[in-house]
Amino acid sequence: MSSNAALTDLIIKMADDELVQGHRNSEWTGLGPVMEEDIAFSSMAQDKIGHAWALYRILHENLGGEDPDRFAFMRPEKAFKCSHLVEMPNSGYDFSLMRHFLFDHAETVRYESMRESSFEPFQQLSKKFRGELKYHTLHADAFLIQLCNAGEEGYARMQTALYETIALAAGIFEPSAAYEETLIADKVYPGEKELYSRWLDQIYPVLVKAALNLPDMNTITPVYGGRQGFHTSYLVPLLKEMGEVFNLDTEASW
Amino acid sequence: MSNESLDPRVNRLKLGDPSAVIKVEEGENWNVYEVFHQEKRGAHHEHVGCVHAPDPQLALVFAKEQFARRKKCVNLWVVRSADILAFDVEDEDMFANNLEKNYRDASGFKVMEKINKFKQSK
Amino acid sequence: MYGGGYIFDEPNGKQLREEQLHDDPEKLAAFEDRIARGEKIEPGDWMPAEYRRQLIRLIEQHAHSEIIGALPEGTWITRAPGFKRKLALIAKVQDEIGHGQLLYNAAETLGKSREAMINDLLSGKSKYSNVFNYPAKTWADVTVIGFLIDAAAIVNQVANAKGSYGPYCRALERICYEESFHLKQGHDAFIELATGTPEQKAMLQDALNRWWQPIMHFFGPPDKTSQHSEKLMQWKVKMASNDEMRNQFLDSYVPKIWELGLTLPDPLLRKNTATGRWEYSDPDWNEFFRVINGGGPCNAERLQVRKWAEEEGRWVRKALMNPAERRSLPVA
Repeated sequence: MSSNAALTDLIIKMADDELVQGHRNSEWTGLGPVMEEDIAFSSMAQDKIGHAWALYRILHENLGGEDPDRFAFMRPEKAFKCSHLVEMPNSGYDFSLMRHFLFDHAETVRYESMRESSFEPFQQLSKKFRGELKYHTLHADAFLIQLCNAGEEGYARMQTALYETIALAAGIFEPSAAYEETLIADKVYPGEKELYSRWLDQIYPVLVKAALNLPDMNTITPVYGGRQGFHTSYLVPLLKEMGEVFNLDTEASW
Repeated sequence: MSNESLDPRVNRLKLGDPSAVIKVEEGENWNVYEVFHQEKRGAHHEHVGCVHAPDPQLALVFAKEQFARRKKCVNLWVVRSADILAFDVEDEDMFANNLEKNYRDASGFKVMEKINKFKQSK
Repeated sequence: MYGGGYIFDEPNGKQLREEQLHDDPEKLAAFEDRIARGEKIEPGDWMPAEYRRQLIRLIEQHAHSEIIGALPEGTWITRAPGFKRKLALIAKVQDEIGHGQLLYNAAETLGKSREAMINDLLSGKSKYSNVFNYPAKTWADVTVIGFLIDAAAIVNQVANAKGSYGPYCRALERICYEESFHLKQGHDAFIELATGTPEQKAMLQDALNRWWQPIMHFFGPPDKTSQHSEKLMQWKVKMASNDEMRNQFLDSYVPKIWELGLTLPDPLLRKNTATGRWEYSDPDWNEFFRVINGGGPCNAERLQVRKWAEEEGRWVRKALMNPAERRSLPVA
């Protein structure tokens, strides 16, 4: 079994991604392009935040971590390990949809790879989130393919969004300098490099159906840094806003 | 204006001129699909409402969250509202005599009465 | 969520008289008999033009109130304290959009398209509940809205669910079920502050003081001044009088506020034990009409944000439009 430090590091990365992505997506709740889509997108935002909560609970219950609320709402920016992709503001629905597509497929391959994880709580999450993620990717794929096949504007917007997000999304798979090999050797999960390649295999056929151009991935530089606590300038205000009420009195019950 | 909202989400939006006339075009909210919900295996699919969607696939995607985000559900159907054929409401009278046709109903046959009568006659 | 106090069209306007002249007296009698027997009216049924018009107006205002109502609470989505509150608030605001969806569908069965209704909202032609034109200044406001405004909405919606129009009743049945979650989560968050630190309690008391008048306005002007025609009652479009619903709300919820040691900013508020009715100071009804006519603190922002949302989403909707599709209204 991997050391608690290695597992903790991995869980924080996964959970922080889920929390911040869910938080960003929830900014659309009530403001979506059509009521039906508003409802669907909001459900998926809730699922992400729910995933984060479940992961922080594992930290708390299995690995001696802090209470999930305190951990999520009080940590300083430096202690966050989310990727830059999820930190970016919602510039438009095209950007949000593309990020949702790329992120949810990445999440899917990650949890899928943990079905047989040596860390038992991952096995449980993998089973538990499966149906939700199936819906999320069904939604993302359907929207992407339809928008791209519907006409010039939809296609152009989604292609631009793909160019804007692809290097950021590749940054999800930033390997850990300290723990990567142990986690792989201990069969916690197959490691970031492997997940990255499975992710590309999974998104590629959908992009083909949408007739989108995926840039040559050898020419792009994945945006790393988030996993080491280096963040975009968007994270500090996001965290301040998220913790605004909680931090009025961290000892109080809200 | 856009920097005075109490909602930080709203402050991040580039709001337009408040007096601008914004009109949604007819059909912009797509077509209507009726949604049928199956609560458990073995149960009928029951009509629960409708969604606006551009095609059946997205209708199903939308129906899942609008009509099956709470409570039990194992399956959903969607069908274009335009494809539903129904009787006119004025045709309700075609069904009016159903309850009188008790020869179609178990309650219309008084077997025990006849048996008891026979037993008493012996 | 939604309150009473919707603005029915002048029942004695010229338009009504002309339309009523065209109603076939035999059909009208059959229609009224059906309602008197407690049967529901369904979309394809013959109905008086005035019944259709008032129902569209009512259901549309209700629907608008849901999607506008998502905005004041949405103010706190990104700041809700802790996972449980954060998830519950997003789910609650999502439900409001869901209710809007159900209600626009119900109104569409009467022949007005969703697009036409949205346009009437954006242009200011069609109204929504006044209460959403007030700002949610602190987290405590969210708990007051979630507890008391939803409670008030339930009083109104439970009454309306017994109305005569089938599609509206069916939508309300589902809505009332979800409102019970809203009320419970609101009450829970409200109690948390009421029983919390002195600062939390002060925050809640302040919110309560600010929201009390809009809540008293919620059910609409007093019966003695508002003109709800007997016809609308007979047709089961309007199900209970404003004062009746207000009294029912006060009776159920004032004790729940007082039992937590909170006060309400009305020295005259008390239950008359002899009559069983609540007595209160008349809220400022000029303010009520000023807000309805666009003069509230948030009217402009609410519409501006809705316009933004419609504009921002337009490319998605337009891209997926299929002009060759056979379009139709909801069946039921």
